[in-house]
Amino acid sequence: MMILADIITLWNSAWPAGVTTLALGLGFSIALLIADRKLKVEMDPKIEQAYAALPRIDCGTCGFAGCSAYAKAVVANPELLGKCSPGGAAATAKIAEILSLKASGSNIPARPIVHCTGRTEDKTLFAKYDGIPTCTSANALSNVQACKFGCLSFGDCVASCKFGAMKIIDGLATVNYEKCTGCTACVKACPRGIIEMVPFAYDKMMTVACRSVESGKDTKAFCKVGCIGCKLCTKQSEAFVVNNNLAKLDYAKYQPGEAFETAMNKCPTKVIVYRGKK
Amino acid sequence: MSDYIIGLLMGFISIVIVNNLVFTKFLGTCPYLGVSGRLDMAFGMGMAVTFVITLAGVLTWLIDHMILIPNNLIIVQYICYILVIAGAVQLVEMYLRKFFPSLYESFGIFLPLITTNCAILGLCIFLFVWNVNNFAEAAVLSFGAGIGFTLAICIMAGIREQLKFSDVPKSLEGAPITLITAGLLTLAFMGFAGMIK
Repeated sequence: MMILADIITLWNSAWPAGVTTLALGLGFSIALLIADRKLKVEMDPKIEQAYAALPRIDCGTCGFAGCSAYAKAVVANPELLGKCSPGGAAATAKIAEILSLKASGSNIPARPIVHCTGRTEDKTLFAKYDGIPTCTSANALSNVQACKFGCLSFGDCVASCKFGAMKIIDGLATVNYEKCTGCTACVKACPRGIIEMVPFAYDKMMTVACRSVESGKDTKAFCKVGCIGCKLCTKQSEAFVVNNNLAKLDYAKYQPGEAFETAMNKCPTKVIVYRGKK
Repeated sequence: MSDYIIGLLMGFISIVIVNNLVFTKFLGTCPYLGVSGRLDMAFGMGMAVTFVITLAGVLTWLIDHMILIPNNLIIVQYICYILVIAGAVQLVEMYLRKFFPSLYESFGIFLPLITTNCAILGLCIFLFVWNVNNFAEAAVLSFGAGIGFTLAICIMAGIREQLKFSDVPKSLEGAPITLITAGLLTLAFMGFAGMIK
């Protein structure tokens, strides 16, 4: 009986507190409900649609703080169309459709190419590097690797890639173009600057995958697959230009064709290769 | 009557300068350090806090003296305070979103965090602890507390804007120099301690 009595006293002294709090809460919820109705903000449905069409990865390649900021900007100013590199042509077309515009002009997606072909067996190392295992710190020492321009293969680019598209295969950074979105993170991560954004007009692009400007003799001494500046490719097509012992391909002039195939086959060090989707 | 008005004025000056919640009670330090990077944002934050603190102070005083004290329900005081503050913050948020969208975006997370700004709960509790028995006095003290907070955060923002151009030792850049500045400001405001007895 004692326990029962105690519970009843407890209840008797507690219920006013509960009722007061509940009543207050109810009052506030009603006030907020009215305020919510009166102060409702109409969002432009186009912004939400444009946001839905974007990849929503907030990579910042477009120059805005994130996908929502870009969606807002592009709805306000359609001239900003086509800045989304990860979304590519598909996202641009979708947003253009939302804004009832027609996307015109070329929208060639830019993708990175690693300008090196040196695998572990092709490279010459002066010393064994035992320091911090990142390209940036290895690059700070002058003679870890004989070639000053080749891939260091510690994988700074792999760490920077949010999409798992970079991989070190046999000592060479390799891009998986199926996964790559062209966000340029790897370009910024590479301390040697051998990763460069290239307009991919075709699924496969031809490239001179080397950045060494050493003389042909030195390059040959260091690396089995470096460009020696022999100018054989320039005889096949004007798109190839040799400067500072290094051949470069003008990507804007590239078209799949026989002249380029011949140039690739004639290259003595086999440094002209295809990069892109298989 | 004039005594009454002078009393209110003294209360106002006291809560703004002498008993400033930020400088002497160390309340509301989170937005004080977090949103004081730019003067315009700091002023906006100060205004938002002033609105919430005035509304919350007046409402909690009314609830205290009309419902809780007569019915001997002081035990649910804190829950009611938090309820009032959260409701007021929601109102401010809706209002800002409607009429000042850019300010709303620049506040970001700090706007809902006004709910947990301890300066506001602190003021509500002080109104009870100091035995403020007069509605006008409670209103003046609440409004003054908001003005005091605005004063503090604006002084801080002004100094921090200048700090960006000054030669701060490398190890003190960012948060450390801000905390040192906050400490020096507090020391300076200690000088007002004897002004009102």
